[in-house]
Amino acid sequence: MTARDTARRIRVAITGIGVKCPAGTTLAEAHGTVLAAKSTASVVGHLVEADLPVPFACLVPPFDEEAYVTRREARQIDRATTLALCAAADAVSEAALPADLSRDRVGVQIGTGIGGLPSMEKAALDHGDRPIDMPVHTVPRSMSNAPASRIAMRYGFRGPCSTYSTACASGTTAIGEAARRIRTGELDAAVAGGVDAAVTKVIMGGFARMRALSTRTDAPHLASRPFDAERDGFVMGEGAAMVVLEPWDVAVARGARVYGEVSGFAENCDAFHIVAPHEDGTVAAACMRRAIADAGLRPADIVHVNAHGTSTLLNDRAEAIAVDRCFAGSPPPLTAVKGVTGHLIGGSGAVEAVLALACASAGAVPPVANTTKSPEAHLVDLVTGAPRPVPVGPVLSNSFGFGGHNACLVLTPPN
Amino acid sequence: MSTPTRTRDEIAHTVRTAVADVIGTEPEEIGDDVSLVADYGVDSLELMDIGARLEKALDVHIEVRDLTLAETVGHAVDLLEERLRERS
Repeated sequence: MTARDTARRIRVAITGIGVKCPAGTTLAEAHGTVLAAKSTASVVGHLVEADLPVPFACLVPPFDEEAYVTRREARQIDRATTLALCAAADAVSEAALPADLSRDRVGVQIGTGIGGLPSMEKAALDHGDRPIDMPVHTVPRSMSNAPASRIAMRYGFRGPCSTYSTACASGTTAIGEAARRIRTGELDAAVAGGVDAAVTKVIMGGFARMRALSTRTDAPHLASRPFDAERDGFVMGEGAAMVVLEPWDVAVARGARVYGEVSGFAENCDAFHIVAPHEDGTVAAACMRRAIADAGLRPADIVHVNAHGTSTLLNDRAEAIAVDRCFAGSPPPLTAVKGVTGHLIGGSGAVEAVLALACASAGAVPPVANTTKSPEAHLVDLVTGAPRPVPVGPVLSNSFGFGGHNACLVLTPPN
Repeated sequence: MSTPTRTRDEIAHTVRTAVADVIGTEPEEIGDDVSLVADYGVDSLELMDIGARLEKALDVHIEVRDLTLAETVGHAVDLLEERLRERS
């Protein structure tokens, strides 16, 4: 008999996790950095040279990329695809899917907000005057579905291979959509996650022109401070996280390590402004409530909230109002890991989903890095200073993207 | 504009370097008898990449037909030597 949830759908287990993000290149390392609330922002040489008003970001620490990608493949792919492939390789190798599993029934579902724009930026800057001289691999390197396709190619996964673009919610969308395909029985396994690597001068310049980025150049490590009174914008990050999803029973029966369950997912759209969230938070609150209901839970069952918390005034204020609405004035403890990781755009939802699950499984909510005093303290139960012990239980992870995209996941640790 | 004359060795070195760069190995690994398709599974895009590098390094136009015609690295060097001679 197959384990079904309260809506009689197949339950979705996470059996592999790969992380390549500023907080670490393994889940354990990233979890430790987040618990220590240690910011990863630092000055980036090529941004200083470009004379940008915001010359700092959160980068993935160096790791042995050659252990994952051959020199030949490295020449054909960009940083986002590299980080996605490395994270996927870790997740797939951890899951150790059975050799007799039909590859036709394994899908790849990836989210990216910026996609291959950094590669096209480089092609345009290097070869704009003589496009005929651009590298032959420019198009396959810069197409936004390159990460998903490269993962499918590497493992011969021939199920649906899709790329979702809901800006900063892309990674959350991808994991949710993959879970949906497992739930309905469409797929027997899926690699899902999010990625972006957009710390380039043109893209950073674009965000800086909107005044969306913090300009705390004298102290980059203090710049990302979600919900703090002194916040002045987000800090750009790069990175990827990937999970392997399988039907719960199948995973348990084959003795796979089960990290937890993707138990709830919902999405909607503010349909209000191209970048600003709706300040009354009603649509985002509805998204949270639907995700919780989708998990067969009530708001009071949620043990902690992983906020989108970008460290921009508009996001944080609207999100706090939405959380207050969702939990009807009795919110569980709330954290925001972007104080540590910066904002990974399409990578953020995936990195945060796996970190939220790790924190929920350990029963400790990490403090928001740098945040001390919040004007939203009356709306949310912000964890600051030190980790907060909580019972092991479901976590709500929020992602909100430019374009009004709201996406929420509920992740439940194994019993 | 006069074209510098290249020896066969110089052309061979240029070809080996282009091939090695694309398939991620060292020029010394690429002998005359190496077949790009049979030995390295070079795909059509990689072949175009090698062609683009040679066009740039040797300042010569290479037809797609010539790229696909060459069965081994040695054969490719022969063809290039011939094209360069025709041009000069």
